[in-house]
Amino acid sequence: MEQRLRTEAKTLLEQDKVDYIIGFEPGILKFTTTPLITKDKDDIDRLVINSFIANNLANFLTELKGRVGIVAKGCDSRSIVSLIQDNKVAREDVVILGVPCPGIIDLSKVEKLVGKDRDELDDIAREGDKVVITTDGKRNEFSITEALFDNCLGCELPTPQEYDILLGEPTSPVAEIAASQTQIARLKEMTPQERWEFWKNEFSRCIRCYACRNVCPACFCQRCFVEETEPQWALPVPKWQDNLLFQVVRNIHVAGRCTDCGECERACPVNIPLRSLTKEMYDIVSDLFQFKAGMDKDAPPLMTHYEQEEAEDLVR
Amino acid sequence: MTKKINKRDIGKLLTQWNQEFAIFVPSKEGDTTKMTSWDGKDVSFLDWYRNTVIPPKASFFPPLEEMFHFQKNKGSYDLELPASDGQKKLIFGIRPCDAKALAILDMIFKDAYEDPYYLSKRENTVLVGLGCTNPYDSCFCTSLGSNPSDSANVDIMLTDIGDQFLMEAITDKGKSLIANTSGLDDATEADEARAKEAQETSYRKVTKRVDTKDIEERLLSCFEDQDYWEKVTAKCISCGICTFLCPTCYCFDINDELVKRQGVRFRSWDSCALPIYTKMPMENPREEKWQRVRQKVCHKYEFYPMNFDVIACTGCGRCIRQCPVNWDITQILASLPVKV
Repeated sequence: MEQRLRTEAKTLLEQDKVDYIIGFEPGILKFTTTPLITKDKDDIDRLVINSFIANNLANFLTELKGRVGIVAKGCDSRSIVSLIQDNKVAREDVVILGVPCPGIIDLSKVEKLVGKDRDELDDIAREGDKVVITTDGKRNEFSITEALFDNCLGCELPTPQEYDILLGEPTSPVAEIAASQTQIARLKEMTPQERWEFWKNEFSRCIRCYACRNVCPACFCQRCFVEETEPQWALPVPKWQDNLLFQVVRNIHVAGRCTDCGECERACPVNIPLRSLTKEMYDIVSDLFQFKAGMDKDAPPLMTHYEQEEAEDLVR
Repeated sequence: MTKKINKRDIGKLLTQWNQEFAIFVPSKEGDTTKMTSWDGKDVSFLDWYRNTVIPPKASFFPPLEEMFHFQKNKGSYDLELPASDGQKKLIFGIRPCDAKALAILDMIFKDAYEDPYYLSKRENTVLVGLGCTNPYDSCFCTSLGSNPSDSANVDIMLTDIGDQFLMEAITDKGKSLIANTSGLDDATEADEARAKEAQETSYRKVTKRVDTKDIEERLLSCFEDQDYWEKVTAKCISCGICTFLCPTCYCFDINDELVKRQGVRFRSWDSCALPIYTKMPMENPREEKWQRVRQKVCHKYEFYPMNFDVIACTGCGRCIRQCPVNWDITQILASLPVKV
């Protein structure tokens, strides 16, 4: 897949079909990758595809000017489609290099499985439905479902449906839907009071770095409401009440655009379980409107579109 | 005056110190780690602690701080300063990189303007350092004139020598505290030899490097190289993680919360990485992402040294470990297109 990607990417640049390629290259730290955004075909041999290509690269599309060849996993391709629906990106300006994605490895889960930090591990290798974590020369085998990100366990579209070049054979979902919802299920069992206390505690940790927003392809506003001063919707300081308000409103703004890529939760430096909010909203949108973000580039965006029969239970 | 203490007696030691000081130790909240008030018993951090995600600067320069309360009173305002707790504090286990970072912050907070909020906390606090035995792969303190056992910026320094910690008093504050502490044994020559060996081992474990030779001149020479900066910052998402979690970043914003006729003035962490930085008084002079990232790098490695004769980076590696897109400042410093 990696070789094919490099060949296709190089051709796209050489034939002047794109101005930029966005993909992944190895990160400096172990078991990481980092976005590679380049115009230079000499950089192309650094492109990789592996179990650690976590970022949703669709995020960069709205800031690049020109035509872009972009590496996209299933969820990322949906984010691209969603941006096309919102007129933020023109379909003809992107060449989607689709990656059938069997799930991305969550290093925090791996660390908990073996009780060591990531930089203390010798190797993490995916072998079919197993993950083999080597520490101190010893192999430790686990089911892959114990090591994938929660959102990957609930993935509905591992193989991009919208693409120009598909880099490998289509793959099927891991489909551990229940496992992907553990945290949300726990929250639903709580009383409203307990849940309030839970979120109050979580949002007390927020430092308002805005990584959750800035890493999100669906958060494409030129100016975020939280930065408005007239009126001031929320204080721009990390008080838990304002942190919570910021996140709730952000969640409403990305409703119908969020593809459950999990980037917000991954980016959070203080580990606030943000996906519990976004995924719940995703499910509400799915139930209420039978709408899933980024599945059909020709469909109107959910929140700008209205059908008369919706009015009955929604607008009262 | 070198002492030692059994690791299993650390709880007793902290209990003893707790009578005079509020004690802060590394603690976990989920996967997030920071220095928090000691609960009087838990010393399990000795097993897991490498360094905290939230730097100890937060104990002196918190993410959110009340500066004063105010109340509208006819044509004027009544102000009320927050009550100072006056409590002496002791931070147990601060790493050498973070202690050095506080020394760097001291310079700015007592420069032309003396910052009472920071300095009152700082003056009231004893730092007990703990040398690193297991630095992260993102650590590069040895390139910045420090090392995993550096005792230069703490009051008391602990070195792990197996079942015990060697305990050295570094400052007068540290000396008087140790002199008034019971239950410590005198360290032997063999203990000191073991400590030296442990320190050498830790030093070798820091493998990441930056070359700081002529760094100010090198950064200056490529300051205008927009193509270079655009290329190396293309993947930055302009969030505040690297600056907020940096132990030497000190920018803050000031905001009022006003409800009816009374309110609070807060200061909170701000970041030159955010597009909205300094928008309140005027425009952000660094509209483009590449300019903002360049500012961050140059502030640490060029401007701060020009003003205070020290690089404002201690090699703690948080900006590398915590970056959502794995941006790495050491790569930037290594790839500067130097024009001679």
